[in-house]
Amino acid sequence: MNKEHFKIAIKNLRTRSLRSWLTILGVVIGIFLVVTLLSLSEGVKNAILAQVRMMGENVLMVMPGEGGDIMTAMMGGLILADENIRAIKQAEGVDLVIPILWRANTARYQGEARTVFIMGYPRKEAQDFFIENMGFHIAKGNWPKAGRREVTVGHLVPIEIFPGMETGDEIIIEGKRFKVTGVLRSLGNRQDDSMIGLDLEYFQQVTGIKEGAHFASVRIKENFTPDEVSANIMEELEETKKRRRGLEDVPPFTVFTREGVTDMVGDIMFLLQVLIFGIASISVIVGGVGITNTMYTSVRERTKEIGTIKAIGAKNSDISKIFFIESGIIGLIGGIGGVVLGIGVAKLVEVFLESPAFAFDVIISPTLIILGLFFAFLVGCLAGYLPARRAAKLNPVDALRYD
Amino acid sequence: MTMPLIKLENVWKRYQMGKIELVILKGINLEIEKGSFTVIMGSSGSGKSTLLHIIGCLDTPTKGDVFLDSQSVSKLSQDKLAEIRSQKIGFIFQQFNLLSHLSALENVTFPMVFQGVKEEKRKEKAGKILASMGLTERITHKPTELSGGQQQRVAIARALANNPEIIVADEPTGNVDSKTAKQIMEIFVDLHKREKRTIIIVTHDVEIANYAERIIKIKDGEII
Repeated sequence: MNKEHFKIAIKNLRTRSLRSWLTILGVVIGIFLVVTLLSLSEGVKNAILAQVRMMGENVLMVMPGEGGDIMTAMMGGLILADENIRAIKQAEGVDLVIPILWRANTARYQGEARTVFIMGYPRKEAQDFFIENMGFHIAKGNWPKAGRREVTVGHLVPIEIFPGMETGDEIIIEGKRFKVTGVLRSLGNRQDDSMIGLDLEYFQQVTGIKEGAHFASVRIKENFTPDEVSANIMEELEETKKRRRGLEDVPPFTVFTREGVTDMVGDIMFLLQVLIFGIASISVIVGGVGITNTMYTSVRERTKEIGTIKAIGAKNSDISKIFFIESGIIGLIGGIGGVVLGIGVAKLVEVFLESPAFAFDVIISPTLIILGLFFAFLVGCLAGYLPARRAAKLNPVDALRYD
Repeated sequence: MTMPLIKLENVWKRYQMGKIELVILKGINLEIEKGSFTVIMGSSGSGKSTLLHIIGCLDTPTKGDVFLDSQSVSKLSQDKLAEIRSQKIGFIFQQFNLLSHLSALENVTFPMVFQGVKEEKRKEKAGKILASMGLTERITHKPTELSGGQQQRVAIARALANNPEIIVADEPTGNVDSKTAKQIMEIFVDLHKREKRTIIIVTHDVEIANYAERIIKIKDGEII
């Protein structure tokens, strides 16, 4: 019996195909927004988490700026002063402090100039730490020697930025020649894989930045927990603040543990995704209103037809089923279209945004696809409920008289 | 004592139109025998269509009782009435009321859908009925591709789909020319004589009334 209703519903939709497709389009747009935005945000989340995971468990990161706003602090150019770094070194449980600086800069290789990220760090102290605690490995060539004009390049540099680059080649940054001694193994995210690593001394020469750091990596001593040392560091940093006047001008600091960062990224992204879903849902609901509108119009137009069908033996439930299935189909087809379009657009955005500085892979999970389809179908059914009920409740005598 | 196929006892129908109450039927008493050919005559607004709707279980009386096969149908639920219409009654309308997006064959199969008849069987049966109406060549045509007379024959075929005992027709010749009207009426005569079906036709046309065994005249909601 339901199969028959389904066939009738399909026939009805086909009869009004332009209107059906336009209504479907309304749903497609809503679902496409949900799918695209959620898959992009999932991609962003993964890109950030991939970076966080490179950090060892016994590693802390100290950054200038308020906690909870990691992106602003990283992008905003706040600096840890040298005295802050000294304070961190004094904190109990701190084994090693590596100040790190970075900047976007032009680099030339075989006459071709490209914008790259250059990173400066004290090579002598940092090398072992990077290898042991931050997951840096040489894939090709050797680590540079401290104090020389030598650089490492990220995994993607010889692939995408300077194709064909070999170890031993020369690269020119701000008129200074550097020898590429090693290519790093992939670190799992494009930013780090596109970096060129310089000894701090040369970084300062090239960039003119003479002091401070964008952030400091800290290795903690054995028998200390990350949270303990984190508290100690904060205490020391507060002390340096107290020694100065005009406290309000001194930026606050944040110490990140790996756990803390992971949780924070998770929390922020979850909130962001809820927000995205909420906003995108509005357009799905608008699509649903479109379905309701179409179905009401359809009930009006088909009033006489409904009367006739009732006269020849259709029950109220037959009528409501037919209308209900029609709106459900509109929802479901809209959902399928939206999911397909959503995946397509997400992939396009992925390709379009690909650059050394900002790139990630969109994540299209089966859950997201099912969510999209189910959501569309649900909206379709809800949207069809009232029109279907109205159609079913039409008095056959009145309906037959309707013109 | 045998009960008539259809029996109306003191049937009243009132409509509330805002503050005005319209009394359409005023205490109708009527018996229709099985296998009879009845014409209900009256001018427009006389209440003849409402009477037909009540006989056809499409509508229920405000007061009074309707019996079909000795069963009271005036207090039945809408679903029960739909079931009775589906099994026992074939409706024919002045404007044919074919479903415009369906072919002649599909229109005829439609009532069988609600009887749960399988698709193949539906098509086979519909094909046979349409053939008996001389419409074999037209089964794939849409209503708009058919003449008025052909459309009404498809509508009659549809009314016959579930093999109902009773055929009710509201001005079945109202939208066709007089020659076609004659052909249509001959179909009704044939259904009555050969197939022993009970035919009830509403009309204001005296010519049509001449085909009937019995004429019931109605005026201002009363039988005269």
